[in-house]
Amino acid sequence: MLKEKENIGFKGGFNLLDTHPLRFCNIIERISSDGIPEVFKFRVPDQKIQHVIVNLCPTEPWALPNWVILEHKTAAFLNKLKEIKTRYFPEAKCYIAINKKEDEPVSAVKDYACNAEWMKVFAVDAKYPQDDPVILSKVVLDIEMDFGQDTTTQGVLILDAQTVLAIYENCMLGNKVDSRFIALSGTGLKENEIINVQLGTSLEKILRNRIKESGKYRVFVNGPLHGREITDLSQKMDWSINNVVVLEELDQKVMFPMFKSDELVLTTNMLGELRRCVYCNFCDDICPVDLEPALYYHSYKRGEKHKARLYNLAKCIECGLCSFICPSKLELLQIIKECKALDKQK
Amino acid sequence: MKKLIKPIEPIIGKSLDRVESFIHTHPKVNFLFGAIFGAFDGLLRSAKETTQTQPFIRNNYDVKRFMGAVLVALVIGWVLPATYFFGWQCVVSKLLVSFIIGVFVVDVLWAIIAREDHISEGGFVSCLLIPAILPPQSPLWLVGLGAALAILFRNVLGGVGNNLVNPALFSRLFLTICFPSLLVTGYQMPFVGMPDLHSFRYGLDAVTHATPLTAFKTNGEVTSYLSLLVGTSGGSLGETCRLALILSGLWLIKIKVVNWRLPVSYLGSVLLLSVFFSLLMGKTVAPPIFHLLSGGLILAAFFMATDPITTTYNQAAKWIYGAGCGLITVLIRDFTTLPEGVMYSILLMNLLAIPIQSLMVKIKYRI
Repeated sequence: MLKEKENIGFKGGFNLLDTHPLRFCNIIERISSDGIPEVFKFRVPDQKIQHVIVNLCPTEPWALPNWVILEHKTAAFLNKLKEIKTRYFPEAKCYIAINKKEDEPVSAVKDYACNAEWMKVFAVDAKYPQDDPVILSKVVLDIEMDFGQDTTTQGVLILDAQTVLAIYENCMLGNKVDSRFIALSGTGLKENEIINVQLGTSLEKILRNRIKESGKYRVFVNGPLHGREITDLSQKMDWSINNVVVLEELDQKVMFPMFKSDELVLTTNMLGELRRCVYCNFCDDICPVDLEPALYYHSYKRGEKHKARLYNLAKCIECGLCSFICPSKLELLQIIKECKALDKQK
Repeated sequence: MKKLIKPIEPIIGKSLDRVESFIHTHPKVNFLFGAIFGAFDGLLRSAKETTQTQPFIRNNYDVKRFMGAVLVALVIGWVLPATYFFGWQCVVSKLLVSFIIGVFVVDVLWAIIAREDHISEGGFVSCLLIPAILPPQSPLWLVGLGAALAILFRNVLGGVGNNLVNPALFSRLFLTICFPSLLVTGYQMPFVGMPDLHSFRYGLDAVTHATPLTAFKTNGEVTSYLSLLVGTSGGSLGETCRLALILSGLWLIKIKVVNWRLPVSYLGSVLLLSVFFSLLMGKTVAPPIFHLLSGGLILAAFFMATDPITTTYNQAAKWIYGAGCGLITVLIRDFTTLPEGVMYSILLMNLLAIPIQSLMVKIKYRI
């Protein structure tokens, strides 16, 4: 069963794949950890699962692309998914969210879905943050979630392609899964690569000989938009790390920035000066959950943090797009987090 | 272009670094020239700040580009057509006076007195609008005074980001009150009488001609729509060539600098209300298309009413704001002795923007 609504999706968002395209080398190298590798373990959720969403729609250019996992064998992947479903979630329905621009897997999934009643396919627009759990369950299932809530409490399980394969290997075949693919990219690296890493390898070992010799760099895991910065490179890899982005630290002034936009993007530079809010409406145009981040800024600036809560603050999914787009370079996400923290203290 | 500037880059970069360190080590020099250097440096070089909090990458689009786009649109929209219709002597001299007095004297002095870090690029937009909304024959001192008042007024209210009403329009209101004769009579037909030294001081009062709106008010004469559209009729310096203004306004909408809701609601409400009144009252009020194409309506709808800071923030409130502007414009034009009401309508709605905003926010979030 194929479900393709033209207007499926949400207002706002930002198509990062088109604006900041990244190309990955096809080299897939295996890096082994020095110690004993950690092992992937799948724990069946306690709650009853009614919906399984398989996310085949990475929306960030630095995220692990689909072709690495599917290897042009989409039908085989779906067969594995079916086995997992019949064994662990016999009553659940499967939903597959797939980037509608990737023609080959879309047509393969469509062909498969014609005679499979147990799954539904959603060909969606791959704009960030489509793959966020809140947005995904809203778009696919029309279920409202809160940010940070465990989706299994509402009977929804969200899996990515690699986890599906790992569950199959681990639980159905009984093999030990101790390595995963991660995407390495960014302006601080010599090349963008996809590598196969044993769990428990330190980031230092992964990045050795891959970073450009000249200049400073900063390391982020799970993308610079909603991921976190890693200052201690001895940190070990675990299953939750999908990608590592190394960005050039551009902390000096660059001459004639208007002619050099290709050099400046995807660095840690602010790309502009801090100004006051000019009411440009960029932040609420881009907001995927229909909030008005500038209202929080104005409340914050007047010293009325508690008032921000009135403007649906709890709906924010902290995707970071408002800070990303702001031409005045305001730290909107930081303000939102501070206002939220105030709420929790009470 | 990249190759051309490559060899001179390190030289300029090093000398700018040297000047910067000199300024920062000498507090008195910094006090006087820090703001000017900051603005100049900001034009040539990018900022050196890096992101410290999530998200760690930022979009390559800042307020400077935002204002730069408005400047480009204004140059295409009114400077070039006005140069053709009224002569470069008229346009260039006014622009020079407006920029020098507005930005380089008043804004710089203010930055020194008020200890601002840099002069804001928003001043260029205001100073580019001042000559556009004054009559072609206004003397240069009037333009200079207008620019000075606009910048001073904006800065007193807290600078870009805090101004309550549109500074350029406020300064025009001030001039209208103080020098009514100059602002009512200084209109001429295009291609007539190039200004000379005498006219710079006293205005060129030999060839004045009523604007289309005044002509309609006095003897019911409707100027041809084509001449209004192309710009071969009288009016303020920047408002005559509506075609160029519409095209550059549409470009601004396309690159999202101008919010499309404002021009649509403003022009739409003017059209609807003028249709309504002309059906109701016949020939005593102006016909709808004449309403749209005459006076400063097009210039105001694309460049003044859309000034982001003085409008409401909420998107739904923008519709009300634009419709309110249209209502006041039509009411003043049709039912008062004043020929033109665009300036008053925008200034009034600027003042009403904050109540409308808070009302709409209350409705939206039910608080």
